Amino acid sequence: MSALRWGRGAAGLGRALWPAGHPGLLAEEGALGGVWGRRRSSSASPCEQDRGKDWGHAELLEVLEARVRQLQAECVSEVTVKRVDVARLPEAGGFQPPRKAQPGATGAAPGLSGRWAEKLDKEKWTMQKRRQRLEAKLEEQARKLAREQQLRVEPRLLNGQLAKSLQRWEQGGPRSPWEEPLAQLLQEAPRRLGCEAEQAPADRVAGARLESQRQRLLAFLECCLFTGHLPLAHHVLVVQHSRSRQQRLLTLAMYNTVMLGWARKGCFKELVYVFFMVKDAGLAPDLLSYAAALQCMGRLDQDAGTIQRCLEQMAQDGLQLQELFVGSPLCKEDQGVLLRAVRKARPGFSPPPRPKPPPPVSSSPLLREIYAKDRPVSYPRLHLPQKKLEGLFQQQLRVEMATTVTVESVEKAPRLTPEVLRARKTLKGLRARWEAALCRALQETKASEAQAARDGRPTLLPYLCLLGEREFARLLLQTLQALPPQGESLLWLAQQLGLRAFNRHIVQRKLLSNQVRELEKRYSQYLHLLASDAQVAEPCLPRQHWEALGAPEAPHEQPWPLPVLVQLGKQLAELLVGAVRMPSSLAAPQGPPKLIPVLYHVYSFRSFRQIGILKPHPAFTQLLAAAAERTLTFEAAEVPMLCPPLPWTSPHSGAFLLSPTKLMRSVEGTMQHQRLLERCPPAELHGALDALTQLGNCAWRVNGRVLDLVLELFTAKGCPRLGVPAPPSEAPRAPWGRLPPDTPPARKAELRRELARCLKVAREMQSLRADALYRLSLAQHLRHRVFWLPHNMDFRGRTYPCPPHFNHLGSDLARALLEFAQGRPLGPHGLDWLKIHLVNLTGLKKRESLRARLAFADEVMEDILDSADRPMTGRKWWMEADEPWQALACCMEIARASRSPDPAAHVSHFPVHQDGSCNGLQHYAALGRDSVGAASVNLVPSDLPQDVYSGVAAQVEVFRRQDAEQGVRVAQVLEGFISRKVVKQTVMTVVYGVTRYGGRLQIEKRLRELSDFPQEFVWEASHYLVRQVFLSLQEMFSGTRAIQRWLTESARLIAHTGSAVEWVTPLGIPIIQPYHHDSKILINGGLQSLTFSSSGDTSQKPNTLKQKNGFPPNFIHSLDSSHMMLTALHCYRKGLTFVSVHDCFWTHAADVAVMNQVPPAPRPRRESGRPLARALPTWDLSLAIVRHALLGGGAAGGDPPDLGAQPLPPLPPPALAPAADAPSPGVPRAVRPSAQPAHPARPVQVPGEAVLLRPQVPESLQERLGLPAAGHAAVGAQDRALQPGAGEALHLLLQLTPGVPAAR
Amino acid sequence: MWVPVAGLPPRLTLSALTGACRLCILGSGAARRKDVLARDRRGLSDFHPQLLPSLSFGDSPSWVTKCRLEPRRYITSPRLAETLVQVLRGGREKTCQLFLECNPGPGILTQALLENGARVIALESDRTFIPHLESLGKNLNGKLEVVHLKPPIMVSKMLFQNLGIQALPWSKGIPLKVIGIFPIKNERKTLWKLLHDLYSCTSIYRYGRVELNMFISEKQYQKLMANPKNPNLYQALSVLWQVACEIKLLHMEPWSSFDIYTQNGQLEKPKRRESLEELQQNLCLIQLTPRRTLFTENLTPINYDVFFHMLKQCFMKRNAKLIDHLHSLSPVDAMDILKKIKKKEKTKITNLYPRDFKQLFETIECSKDYTCKWLYDDFLEDRIV
Repeated sequence: MSALRWGRGAAGLGRALWPAGHPGLLAEEGALGGVWGRRRSSSASPCEQDRGKDWGHAELLEVLEARVRQLQAECVSEVTVKRVDVARLPEAGGFQPPRKAQPGATGAAPGLSGRWAEKLDKEKWTMQKRRQRLEAKLEEQARKLAREQQLRVEPRLLNGQLAKSLQRWEQGGPRSPWEEPLAQLLQEAPRRLGCEAEQAPADRVAGARLESQRQRLLAFLECCLFTGHLPLAHHVLVVQHSRSRQQRLLTLAMYNTVMLGWARKGCFKELVYVFFMVKDAGLAPDLLSYAAALQCMGRLDQDAGTIQRCLEQMAQDGLQLQELFVGSPLCKEDQGVLLRAVRKARPGFSPPPRPKPPPPVSSSPLLREIYAKDRPVSYPRLHLPQKKLEGLFQQQLRVEMATTVTVESVEKAPRLTPEVLRARKTLKGLRARWEAALCRALQETKASEAQAARDGRPTLLPYLCLLGEREFARLLLQTLQALPPQGESLLWLAQQLGLRAFNRHIVQRKLLSNQVRELEKRYSQYLHLLASDAQVAEPCLPRQHWEALGAPEAPHEQPWPLPVLVQLGKQLAELLVGAVRMPSSLAAPQGPPKLIPVLYHVYSFRSFRQIGILKPHPAFTQLLAAAAERTLTFEAAEVPMLCPPLPWTSPHSGAFLLSPTKLMRSVEGTMQHQRLLERCPPAELHGALDALTQLGNCAWRVNGRVLDLVLELFTAKGCPRLGVPAPPSEAPRAPWGRLPPDTPPARKAELRRELARCLKVAREMQSLRADALYRLSLAQHLRHRVFWLPHNMDFRGRTYPCPPHFNHLGSDLARALLEFAQGRPLGPHGLDWLKIHLVNLTGLKKRESLRARLAFADEVMEDILDSADRPMTGRKWWMEADEPWQALACCMEIARASRSPDPAAHVSHFPVHQDGSCNGLQHYAALGRDSVGAASVNLVPSDLPQDVYSGVAAQVEVFRRQDAEQGVRVAQVLEGFISRKVVKQTVMTVVYGVTRYGGRLQIEKRLRELSDFPQEFVWEASHYLVRQVFLSLQEMFSGTRAIQRWLTESARLIAHTGSAVEWVTPLGIPIIQPYHHDSKILINGGLQSLTFSSSGDTSQKPNTLKQKNGFPPNFIHSLDSSHMMLTALHCYRKGLTFVSVHDCFWTHAADVAVMNQVPPAPRPRRESGRPLARALPTWDLSLAIVRHALLGGGAAGGDPPDLGAQPLPPLPPPALAPAADAPSPGVPRAVRPSAQPAHPARPVQVPGEAVLLRPQVPESLQERLGLPAAGHAAVGAQDRALQPGAGEALHLLLQLTPGVPAAR
Repeated sequence: MWVPVAGLPPRLTLSALTGACRLCILGSGAARRKDVLARDRRGLSDFHPQLLPSLSFGDSPSWVTKCRLEPRRYITSPRLAETLVQVLRGGREKTCQLFLECNPGPGILTQALLENGARVIALESDRTFIPHLESLGKNLNGKLEVVHLKPPIMVSKMLFQNLGIQALPWSKGIPLKVIGIFPIKNERKTLWKLLHDLYSCTSIYRYGRVELNMFISEKQYQKLMANPKNPNLYQALSVLWQVACEIKLLHMEPWSSFDIYTQNGQLEKPKRRESLEELQQNLCLIQLTPRRTLFTENLTPINYDVFFHMLKQCFMKRNAKLIDHLHSLSPVDAMDILKKIKKKEKTKITNLYPRDFKQLFETIECSKDYTCKWLYDDFLEDRIV
């Protein structure tokens, strides 16, 4: 310490003594001063002021002095010595009086006398004094600096009493028993408990800002812990704590985090400091605080007495020791230490056994059958043996450990001309240089961030330390590579970079924490359930098996708060912009190359906003194009898995082996879904977890023959008609040469338009091409492998495969590329189903019975075989189909099957689809009991399948004819143009809330496609038609609109009370609509300030408009997905392969008939392409959902919207609305047992209570909500009598006026 | 989360002028879409007024009502009308001129114009005024034509065709004069909109150098005329207008001389404080005559938007140095450019006069040795010049 001080003092003084404008020394100074950074300038400033005035004298003085000595001693070397002495003098002497330093000097110059000498003496004295003052100041500053330099350990407490006691203990010396203060501390009751709570932030905005700051600070502390920056975390905590104004920023979780860090290190002193701070902040230590303290004692091997006291205090605070081992999110190692400590005090203590999870029974009555143990089950197995699957697991593990997958592009390989080779070489050289430059830049950034952290601010430092510099550099270069020529918005890039960094960090963390070996072991055991050659004792679902194999996984890593994510990403993007440079002329490097940036930050103006964009230099884009490299890099989670995915066991664990995946995907930064899922009792989610697991467990392979054909087209000129995008070379070229100089501006304007059109087409083609390139490259990559598509769901419960580029949800082309890896013999009817499927794919025979379709297929058998044999050269029958590629694949399958000696034994891998007929309308028709509507969407048995679109078109035609007769011009013009195709999209989307506005646009588009329609009438005609379509729908689905309106109105009321609309699906998935008013987050500094608004912030008021308009479609989607999941689960129980594209279900041809029987429900036997079974569950589902809808589903833990707190604006206050009274979903009265068989002959016999909706609504309300008058009152009354309880539910649901009698 | 920042481009008001203009553009089969990013949908909506998606606005009741409710100013004082006629005729006697009057309302000015022998086309969107306007034109041998603009309206190409207006080449004279009042709330947007039309020779400017005689608020007028001498008001809009047009102040009139009508021809009393404040102000009648020399070898309707972008970007950080902006505008060597336009390195954006900007743009545009001259432009790659 003293040496340091000396050094600094000397240096400081030396600097002060040197005249101005002495560059050499100053430069040296800079090097020295680098250590204490910013402080330097401030400490130097006083000297610099004086320098001009005084240092002239000083110099003179010194020269004189030296000269005197020189004369005396005649020794040159002494000069330097003395000079050093002078410099050191004040330092060594401390506060010695100035005179004492003088004698030597005065004595040394006895010969000097007279006034001059006197003056000199006097000046010398003043000088000395000044020097001394300065020195003292410098020293003070140096000491301060040293303090700053060191990270703070001791807290500065705001409470005087506490501070004193802390001081007392500190002075007791390092050996004093530190546990003593702790124990005493613990006994002190928290003094300022809850004072934070009192100062609730005045307004919402400030509250939100505070919350986001808290998030950032906590995330910073946690990250510090992970990267080993614990002292820094402690320092920041202490600094923040000492600023009383910022103290309310600190929460117990933050203190606990730091405490846990110290506990793991066994640093008791620091732990006690934190404890002091906790007390000082007036917080009451909780279970985790005690856990940290005990853990630390365990590590230090403290004596039993201290531990005993600690435990006693815990008991006094009302905290249970047992809970430490059950509820706390401690890792195994921590718990072990903790247990050691506890055992010391209580030798007999044993942690409570991990409670066996109660028999996992979902309360949803719909699922009872799924989880019933008493009936026979035949869960499917994979076709692969255990050994093989284990090998696949290893492959997948390797892929995920590498975090990226490099895939060869299917783009035609360029000829390796010298230019190409040179470009590749240049690129390689540049990349190597960039990587080094990025690493350097990262180091510099880290240094500056570290400096900022010393000021007590949570910075990015720990995040930047999470991954190696090289890894960051590679991540950035990968991003650079993928940047499109027209640039990418900085905000989006930042978010992507942040996310990728997070994902890599998670993977790395899992690798480091040794979870991999555990996973490996468990997975291999898990495979016993799936492998073809293994055995398990008892058949069970994959999730159940996985759970039985061991304890749940370690707690998952919380995602970083969005601001942190973006900030980190932005920092990385800035590094990229700053560090990556290339020579200005790549072609001919003469002389030292001038470096220019590769990335530019430019703005694009949208409306009156500007958006920052990072854009690559055109030369770089050219270079990339010239090099024509043939590899594509994907993130590991963007590629299908090579082994069966992990079963979903919780909202965070499932799917990929290492890459984190969410059960419910949501926009980044929306937390409410996760919170809702976490609060939900685990058993409630079983339906969704199992359904998703099952969808993901389907093994896939690539249909090689189709892929070959597609690739052939792709590498040639493409074929947009068949969905194979053309290469950029096929883009239209603007007719454009050099313009004559006198071209009028108007002509130029026309040219510009033409140019713009070409550009637009080219851009579209480019993006389509890129999309197809990704898909086909991945298909090629996976060609000879078996792979899996893990699934998750969106916030409404709709399921999606996680890998984005290559999956079965895409276009016709994408679907045709896939087939089941597992084959099944066709069986007696398989071939027929294949044929029917083919006819369905062609889009012909929409209104024909299955028999007729089959007959049609036999009729065109020759075409089918021709298509299969000579797809590109023959009659090309398949190309005319609605879904040409799938039709072709089907043709090939039929050809193979029919040519095999025994078609029934032919092993087919081909998925056969069963498509829903406008599911949305089915649900509405069911809910609204529209008999006509129900019939038109095949809810009612009928000999022929109905086609709702044709039905609507026919109805519109009826109206049109009437109008035409009355002389309406547009109606006359439209004669002969009203077809199924014109109305289809609008009818389909009406369910999802399309407005007249949007509907008109859709119809306009269709009309424009009709070449012989007089285009000048398009506007008027579309306007007219959309009205007619809505009218027709109203006519056919009288209930639909009413229900839609009713749902909308309910959502509006709920949103008005300040809650988001929540409900629970019949399978128990809690759903909340994430539409709130935007909250803005600002990230300042750097290239540009980034502002982004998030609508998922729950602290904001709900956005009524969105809540209201979103509710009906979201609700229907959730119904639909429940239906699908239920079917999936039933199919699994029957051993079927089952996947779905929302309302289109896929299975093997042999199993179609079985699938159509699922779920077993009353259902007339019929042979229609649209199995009635598909619609039936909705009758049952309806009430279960409707009951929870709007009540927030008490079982799932979501707080019901507080309807009682505030009278709904238009309705009188509800008579009762306590959540406790809400019917628990466990009571199975919602679902109508399947006792009442649907009668084939009669129109809809509605068993479900959903129908009660209408009879129950009082007249006044009906009017207000626009519900049609209750025509079914009698039925309703009957049902009510039959079904006690249902009415009650509805009463709650509707929040009726007090006058309405609540049914008992 | 990335919620639309602005949604659809802000729609313009339904004033006859903008209405006609918009439709013109649409008629012209507009324009290039900025599909820079596939992520546009995420909320980076585009503001290019000529890019309104379709003719669909007539179908959107909420929007129509909103616009309809906006009050409109009308000339009601015969004295003012007389003065205006004098000013507009500019002393010339009895030259038959063609005026396109936007939203004449009660038709006071129309009458004055007609009495002075001018030919007038009156575009009115408010049905209430139509009968009266039509009555004005009786016995005048078709010197007055009244067009009721109502959505859905015909495309202005058709409108002009019906009215028998011929396009004049840019280098020739002025085909017609437009007279009107800028919408109260949307002056700025309308000005931008007109700029796009002007530089791209679409809408009314398809017919040549149409002269605008418009009432504009005094504040906005000052902004239009701003230059480095009053840097606080200086902005991209000023530069673009001054480069494009000769701007002449014809007349100033206090706000109070105008009457405000809501829809349906109801006279509105100024109730709100803000409108009272506005009443203290003047309205300026300005004449905007497009310059014959606006388009050159290097600034054409083909690349005007690059010029627009350059100015927007420059004025975003108006106090920054020009050289700093050049770095993110163009890959062309910034020092070279400065040398060519003879500006110093320290020159700030607000030190440049409108003509300097034009020169700057043309200098970059004609710089040799660079395949790519701008970083912004997204159809550069397809451009062959």
